[in-house]
Amino acid sequence: MTTPSTTSVILTARQKARRRREALTAYTFLLPYLFIFLIFTVFSIGYAFYLSFTRYNLLSPPQWWGLEGYRRVLCIESWFPRPENAPKPVCDDLFIRKALPNTFKYTAIVVPTQTLISLVLAFAMDQKIRFRRLFRTIFYLPSVTSSVVISLIFVWLFSPLGVINQIFHLKINWLNDPRYAFYTIMMVNIFTTSGTLMLIFLAGLQDIPITLYEAAAIDGANKFQIFRYITIPMLRPVIFFVVTVGIIGCFQVFDQIYVMTAGGPLDSTTTIAYLIYKWAFRDTTVKMGQASALAFILALIIFVVTMLQRRVIEGSGSVNQ
Amino acid sequence: MKGFRLTLFITALVALLLAACAPATPQVIEKTVEVEKQVVVTQEVVKEVPAERAVVRLSGWAASPEETALLQSLLLDFTAENPDIVVKYEPITGDFWATLKTSIAAGTEPDIYYMDIFQFPAFVQDDVMLPLDDFMAKTGTKKEDFIPSLIDAFSANGKVYGIPKDFNTLGLFYNKDLFAKAGLAEPTDDWTWDDLKAAAQKLSDPANNVYGLGVPADAGRFPIFVFQNGGSIMTPDFQDTLLDAPEAIEAGKFYTSFRAEKIGAIPADVGEGWQGTVFGKGQFAMVYEGGWLIPYLKQQFPNINYGVVTPPAGPKGEGNLIFTVAYVISKNSKNPEAAWRVINYLTSEAAQRKVMESGFALPTRLSLQESDYLKTNPASAAIFRGALQGARPFMWGLVGSDVNDQMTKALERVYLENMSVEESFKQAAEAIRQKLAELK
Repeated sequence: MTTPSTTSVILTARQKARRRREALTAYTFLLPYLFIFLIFTVFSIGYAFYLSFTRYNLLSPPQWWGLEGYRRVLCIESWFPRPENAPKPVCDDLFIRKALPNTFKYTAIVVPTQTLISLVLAFAMDQKIRFRRLFRTIFYLPSVTSSVVISLIFVWLFSPLGVINQIFHLKINWLNDPRYAFYTIMMVNIFTTSGTLMLIFLAGLQDIPITLYEAAAIDGANKFQIFRYITIPMLRPVIFFVVTVGIIGCFQVFDQIYVMTAGGPLDSTTTIAYLIYKWAFRDTTVKMGQASALAFILALIIFVVTMLQRRVIEGSGSVNQ
Repeated sequence: MKGFRLTLFITALVALLLAACAPATPQVIEKTVEVEKQVVVTQEVVKEVPAERAVVRLSGWAASPEETALLQSLLLDFTAENPDIVVKYEPITGDFWATLKTSIAAGTEPDIYYMDIFQFPAFVQDDVMLPLDDFMAKTGTKKEDFIPSLIDAFSANGKVYGIPKDFNTLGLFYNKDLFAKAGLAEPTDDWTWDDLKAAAQKLSDPANNVYGLGVPADAGRFPIFVFQNGGSIMTPDFQDTLLDAPEAIEAGKFYTSFRAEKIGAIPADVGEGWQGTVFGKGQFAMVYEGGWLIPYLKQQFPNINYGVVTPPAGPKGEGNLIFTVAYVISKNSKNPEAAWRVINYLTSEAAQRKVMESGFALPTRLSLQESDYLKTNPASAAIFRGALQGARPFMWGLVGSDVNDQMTKALERVYLENMSVEESFKQAAEAIRQKLAELK
């Protein structure tokens, strides 16, 4: 009677020791990454969160400011019409008036376009056509090139006397006209990201079992029906991934704007991420606290939008991730 | 012995080849020799004084490899003369101000750093620089030795915080060939706005993308027109803007009239980002630019035939902008005495003469006004003269970047959205006032 129980006790003790050893090993392997992660991510985010409640210009220590930074970013006073002679609110409405609508507009145009283009490209690349590998390489090439370099090339292509205007016999000042500048930057971004997304879709397409297609063909489905009722539903998890990555990337768009227009002309290309940079580093009087507050507002926006989008994509079908 | 001879032979061969390959660039070879010689000098010094040396860190932006090399050679000269000080030159590439400000926040800033007049007010307000008056008195460095408008720019509350290292003003660069083609007399220092406009009319040929004057929506060019019209961008205490005052609006109308009448253009109209390039290509007959255009033209457009005069006077006289950079000492410096000696050396007459003769920058000492270099380089001399004729620092107080943004936008609204100058400048002034209110 006693023997089995003792052995079981001994076993658990052994198991415990083994488990501890395993945990130790795991943490040893994790340590270098964990160290970097804690310092450069967790601590930085925590400190930025603290800074978002302060007034801080880098040159003198941060002063506690409560929610004033958030108030100045949102500038609620500017949402409603003011009486003619009322004093102007002490805040900048650049976020509400330009950065926020611009960022949403950017996401609303770029995400569907790049998803559609990359899906079509992936579908084409999945067919047995000539030079398939060559095309795949060509389409993927922009994604492995530095976005700064691509932006510079586009600045050159879209200059008033540049190639684009010459080919199409246009006289558009692409990057210097507030009506076109933002769309030009959208084109650049769609061009650079479609390649990567195509690759992800391609992997998804090749994962779909051929038997499904064969069964559909036997049932007399045509090409379009196969695409609509087999390919798209089977791709849903991939579509979710592509759209999510796209949305997050679009909300954070910065480098192309920094290189191509610096937020101009007339703030027509100022996005939230660029505004954070402008407040934190570009202005002569640095507004680090206000910039941190905006960074957390941006994080909140991305979180909410991603949750909503998850509902939409997962809610419309039964296929789970 | 044989090996030695062989080495000698190869060295001679390589030297010969080098000489044969690069006949067009003798300067490069000269420079290399100089640097090598100086390196030897420092090594000897190290042996003599091995201990108790004060370390001074110096940071600036790296404008070009040539400029960096020049500063390094000056620093080597300094160490040779002052063996008790080690100067660590740590240039900041990329975003200088973000890097500097974050290093100040972390308490790791260099002892000496570059200070642009545009950024100066914020650094004064937060009291992060050391006043230099006591040091100056000790080494007998006089304020009066420097161009007044420059040293005054880096003074605040009756104290000097920075010694100007160099400066630039705007000059009217004109293309001599285009003037000859149009049968026009070349500009002089006595030109007025009327002369400018009349010349621009004759020089323009919009059908062939040639325009009389470059009028970019640039806050670093437009203000001189306001000054020449008796106006100002900010009030003297920088607590309010005068951008919506009649003088400024009138200047804005004159400035933007060039593009409206197709006798002037912005660089983007002809597909460029900077009017210096457009001038080099011969598409703008006249541009307002600083001394930085001179080495650029020499390198990129060596065949252009151009001259420089001080900006034409407006209805209320001369007006110009001064762009200047100083050396300042951090308040946290552990060796302020040593740091001061470095600055004093770098801004000395001998050092400034060297910099001037390299063609990179204009000296800030009045005594160099009569130098042979300026006499034989009329283009640089015109830029130098600008500092003595009604020039004001390119500085708009604590909200400087916002004032620049708003001035640019004010001009862009006129250029791109056909807004009236009055309305556009009024909007800009309102936005600047809002930014001033946010400071409180």
